[in-house]
Amino acid sequence: MNVIEVHGVSKTYRRRRKPTLRALDALDLTVAAGGVHGFLGPNGSGKTTTIRALLGLVGVDQGELRLLGRPVPASLPQVIGGVGALVETPLFFPAFSGRLNLRLLARTAGLPASRVEQVLATVELTDRADERFKGYSLGMKQRLGIAAALLKQPRLLILDEPSNGLDPAGIRDVRELVRRLGADGSTTVFLSSHLLAEVEQVCDSVSIMAAGRCVASGPVGQVLAGRTSRQLRLRLADLAGARQVLERAGHHVSAEDEALLVTAPQDPDELGRLLAEHGHWVRELSPVAVDLEAAFLQLTENRPAPAGGPVTEEAA
Amino acid sequence: MSSPGSVLVDQPPPGPAPAPLPGSPGPGALLAAEALRFWSRRLVRVLLVLGAAGYLAGLLLASTQYAKPSAAGLADATARRQQMLVQQERYRQDCLASVGSPQGPPTADQCGPQLTADDIGRVEDFIDKQPFTLGREGRDGALVVAAATAVFAFLLGATYVGAEWSSRSMVALLFWEPRRYRVMAVKLTILAGVTAVLGVAAQGVWLLAARVLAGLRGTTATPARLWAQLAATSGRGVLLVVLVGLLGFAVANLVRNTAAAFGAGFVYFAIVENVIRAVRPAWQPWLLSDSAVALVAHGGHKIFLNEGFVDARGFYQSTGRELVVSNLHGGLLLGAVTALIVTAGVVLFARRDPN
Repeated sequence: MNVIEVHGVSKTYRRRRKPTLRALDALDLTVAAGGVHGFLGPNGSGKTTTIRALLGLVGVDQGELRLLGRPVPASLPQVIGGVGALVETPLFFPAFSGRLNLRLLARTAGLPASRVEQVLATVELTDRADERFKGYSLGMKQRLGIAAALLKQPRLLILDEPSNGLDPAGIRDVRELVRRLGADGSTTVFLSSHLLAEVEQVCDSVSIMAAGRCVASGPVGQVLAGRTSRQLRLRLADLAGARQVLERAGHHVSAEDEALLVTAPQDPDELGRLLAEHGHWVRELSPVAVDLEAAFLQLTENRPAPAGGPVTEEAA
Repeated sequence: MSSPGSVLVDQPPPGPAPAPLPGSPGPGALLAAEALRFWSRRLVRVLLVLGAAGYLAGLLLASTQYAKPSAAGLADATARRQQMLVQQERYRQDCLASVGSPQGPPTADQCGPQLTADDIGRVEDFIDKQPFTLGREGRDGALVVAAATAVFAFLLGATYVGAEWSSRSMVALLFWEPRRYRVMAVKLTILAGVTAVLGVAAQGVWLLAARVLAGLRGTTATPARLWAQLAATSGRGVLLVVLVGLLGFAVANLVRNTAAAFGAGFVYFAIVENVIRAVRPAWQPWLLSDSAVALVAHGGHKIFLNEGFVDARGFYQSTGRELVVSNLHGGLLLGAVTALIVTAGVVLFARRDPN
């Protein structure tokens, strides 16, 4: 079952005294149930607009959106109980305590007060729950936002940049929480982020957005597999001598800390044989792994701006 | 599925068939949550405490303005009234004697009719501290209490929804109840209920206080049907409180800001209405404050349109007339304006993308 389906969705913002802005350009996106799905893209690529459209907060010009198998926004009242969301910054009454803010939401959904205590414990805010929201640090606010999104025990948890404003320990905690939620089998986490490392560390699958379109989608490993660096890393005792041998043989070589990077030949074994013939014994010969950042930059660089003008952060 | 030109790779395998989806909550849960949200706001509690304290202080102050008349005081007041009647008649006779002279008026009509004791006023009006009567002070007090409670309700209504917009919790609520008309209907219901309770409480306290004041510092003698008239005035006062509370909500919801709603209210009542009264006095029956008074006041609101001209001899010739704005007129106008602004705000909320 797909928890999110987006077909041919376009959204244009009309602005006073400014050119119109196409935030989504015939976007197609599918997210299957289970695990953590990263939603990656540069600022202004349309991530938040997509999420806001799925939650009925913005209308789209054309296209079809489905959440948990139902068309939205028409069937949003029927599916909203299964969807938890944290979009951009957490929205709470600043003068109310964290606990009261959650209790109000729980009562709105007809949930028991005990559920509030459960989610407070999940995000480790129980001890500070009676303090006013406006006195919370950014990290605490973000955790309370996640707690609110978890209140409904959602099948689909939508988190939009949940690490914003968090310190390194907070980022680590949120990532662990997301990983745990994705692994429990009952919740699909849709994690929007511009932090490549976050997606790489946490997500099982990823969709990459650029200029209002989805330019790649699938399991993280497969998306990366499509992007090879075509370089090999060599570690051996005499780096300078080995480099001379390789360059004389016509290979392109560069230095990297205590290793050499060599543009991969058709037959990697050829490098080992060549170096052995000249008395250089290789300790390591491995392909240079491409990271998501490289893949991301490959996929998003030089994407033409969609018709209707550039996409800006404000739109997304 | 991906767009043309995108890299498409397999998604993870689909999971097991899901259980039925939990939908959004019913209106009962939403009402309960809204009531708790309204009551949990500290500003609301502070306003209620201050309002109650102010009300009590006003009652105590009012009680010092009245006293039971003594027999000597009544006799003195009767004599003073008679003295004024005689003095007025003397002025009239002087006026009639000067008709046709260069300094006098052109006709005898300008000197007015002969006055009676009733025209001069009640005997009680000539007592330094008047007695409290249910028929007059009781009814006027119900109007004042309704007006003060209505201003309070405007503050409550505006701050209730204004705080939702400033904290953006209005948007957060849509993650839980995406039916925007329902969200607004619930908030309006809560506000109408709270302001109705407030209005009933304020009027109830006033009727009780009026009865006590009449017993201690006035007279409890009541004309026929007075209590029915007082109850009707108080009932219309409660309606005014509810309408003005909704008006405050509607303006703040339209501009999405509490302070802007207060500013709009100040500009309208302090500036626009006064300019209209000065420039277009005939439009007064269509002003909100006159309509509010007309809705509550027993028998409607009498407006004297002070129109006239200065003749060739420099005498002011009045063509003024008295208009009576009925309870129904006041209620319909106030209700229509409130409904219009509420509807505009709700429709915009339902159709516009919230930020």
